[in-house]
Amino acid sequence: MTNISMRSVSKFFDGGDIIANYELDLEVEDGEFLVFLGPSGCGKTTALRMIAGLETPSDGEIYFDDDRVDDMPPADRNVAMVFQNYALYPHMSVRENIEYPLKVRGVPPEERDERVAEIAELLHIEDQLDSDPASISGGQRQRTSLARAIIREPSVFLLDEPLSNLDAKLRLEMRSELKRLQNELDITTVYVTHNQEEAMSMGDRIAVMNEGTIRQVAEPEELYRRPKTAWVAQFIGSPPMNLLEGTNRDGTIRVDDENSVPAARETTSADVSVGFRPEDAAVTTTEPDTDWRLRGTVKTVEPLGEYVLVNVDVGDTTVNAKVDRTDVESGQQVFLSVDPDDVYLYDGDGELVA
Amino acid sequence: MSSTDLFEGGFGADVDWEKTKAILIFMAPGLTLFGIFSVGPMVYSAWGSFYVWDAFTVQQFVGLDQWVATFTDDAIINWSNLASFTYPMGALPQNLIWMVIHVPLSTVLGLGLALLFADLRGRRILRSMVFLGFTTPTVVIGLVLLFVYDPQAGVFNEILRTIGLEGQVRNWLQEPQIAIYALIAGGVWVQTGFSMLVYSSALAGIDPSLLESARIDGAGPFRRFKDVIWPLVKPVTAVVVIMSTIWVIRIFAIVYAAGGPSGGPNGVFSVLGLEVYQAAFSIPIEYGKAMVIALVELIITLPMAWYIARMD
Repeated sequence: MTNISMRSVSKFFDGGDIIANYELDLEVEDGEFLVFLGPSGCGKTTALRMIAGLETPSDGEIYFDDDRVDDMPPADRNVAMVFQNYALYPHMSVRENIEYPLKVRGVPPEERDERVAEIAELLHIEDQLDSDPASISGGQRQRTSLARAIIREPSVFLLDEPLSNLDAKLRLEMRSELKRLQNELDITTVYVTHNQEEAMSMGDRIAVMNEGTIRQVAEPEELYRRPKTAWVAQFIGSPPMNLLEGTNRDGTIRVDDENSVPAARETTSADVSVGFRPEDAAVTTTEPDTDWRLRGTVKTVEPLGEYVLVNVDVGDTTVNAKVDRTDVESGQQVFLSVDPDDVYLYDGDGELVA
Repeated sequence: MSSTDLFEGGFGADVDWEKTKAILIFMAPGLTLFGIFSVGPMVYSAWGSFYVWDAFTVQQFVGLDQWVATFTDDAIINWSNLASFTYPMGALPQNLIWMVIHVPLSTVLGLGLALLFADLRGRRILRSMVFLGFTTPTVVIGLVLLFVYDPQAGVFNEILRTIGLEGQVRNWLQEPQIAIYALIAGGVWVQTGFSMLVYSSALAGIDPSLLESARIDGAGPFRRFKDVIWPLVKPVTAVVVIMSTIWVIRIFAIVYAAGGPSGGPNGVFSVLGLEVYQAAFSIPIEYGKAMVIALVELIITLPMAWYIARMD
């Protein structure tokens, strides 16, 4: 059982011209499922590769428990990794692929067969063992790749966008399968994805990354409820949080000529952003009896079955509201109202005003 | 199945004549060229090898006489020298020795350099430098070898002097028992460029995550090579080996440039190509013999060409 600790880990490429990661500080608890979430090119894969040992940090230290590992080759770290494209050896059968890590480590054939059978049953690929990786389905390849990763009981389990090559239905299925596996095996897991639904549903905690740094590490619920920065707020949620820039004067925030709202919390910052989640907004045609309302014009109405998405122009910004049902139409003057408890305030630096 | 079924299903009934016509029309230019420049000469030499020639005019049928004469000719196979492994052994054994040394060496060197250059900074320049040997005309290579092995001005002997092997200094291309190996080294230099290039592109085609995965699985450099790289470049190896075998069997210009039409002193590094040239174009003109030797070359290379043609 292992906990991972990254201390001010940075990674530069091309002699410092490209900064892939900058001063990452992160603790992953023993048995935890941690997700690196961020847009493409944010450095999450590089961070994972440093934990794996495929990249060496330019700066900083990585510990597995009390052992410093950043100078160790991957083989000595006892990590297992699942790659986005599965990285199955095309010239080996499914069985040979799965047993390869054991073979390299000199485990005798009888024991290998036993373990392969065990793992194949756990992952429901018993019938594919003698097939070629090229002749099995994407989901089965994924399972093979997982089987190869867990067969030698690694102390750290690393997954790099493992579900992104699967179709939507299979992705859902594998998501719960992965979560089940991780619970059963109780291995410290780091999972990289750009898909926030995956991150929210699987992660014990999520590290949100952008531009090579970790913006916030939190449990899914907290990440959604209390995004620490405006950037995280606009990244999490689908559609993400509405943010309106405004100027703060004496506790009143002026959003545009028509709209001013009371500041929910005190801040000395003059340039601020107010935010609220689309699902917390109500759309009405008559002026509601609350200070916290915005006047705007309906741009489009998108009925999505489960809910209706109303896009409203407020000043220069388009604001989303998720409502159960609505009669408003495009071009109509409407009011958006939000419970002040559901309003977020970010200062000029984009930090949440607590 | 009755005979009528056989007739109807097997032949005539379902042939799409329109399509057949189109296929024939499209194939005609290629087949014509193939016929004139490949099949024609082959058949012509096969036929001609059974006749006596007066210069370029065919005389009378002699059966296998030319074949027997060729295989007992010391320039082609010197049976007594062959038994004691002393040069000259004749063009055919010498050509085969060339093949046996050249092919594995150039293949292994090419793969080695490709692996070495794969992750190296400046690999493009290095690759171009090695490949330059393959692009250089082989006549030039032969001439360069003359300079390299020259006893006075040659680089190779100069190196021997510098590292204190003064006693080894000699005119390498004039020493009967070693001249051929000195030339083979030149041939290897040429062919290595080719096999390196082919292996480089094969290596570039290997998904890097496979090697990373093997690293994580605990495989060291040797195991990664043995378990992942080698099986994936194996198909390419067949191409490299066959191409260089064919190249060696047809080798001519290097030998001619380095040793003249006789193939070195007493023909110590003569090869089949040189003997074809000698028989066909130097007095006395022995056209039938030239055809026999050329056919021997063809017989050696044909199965390999066949193998390549059948590869996926």
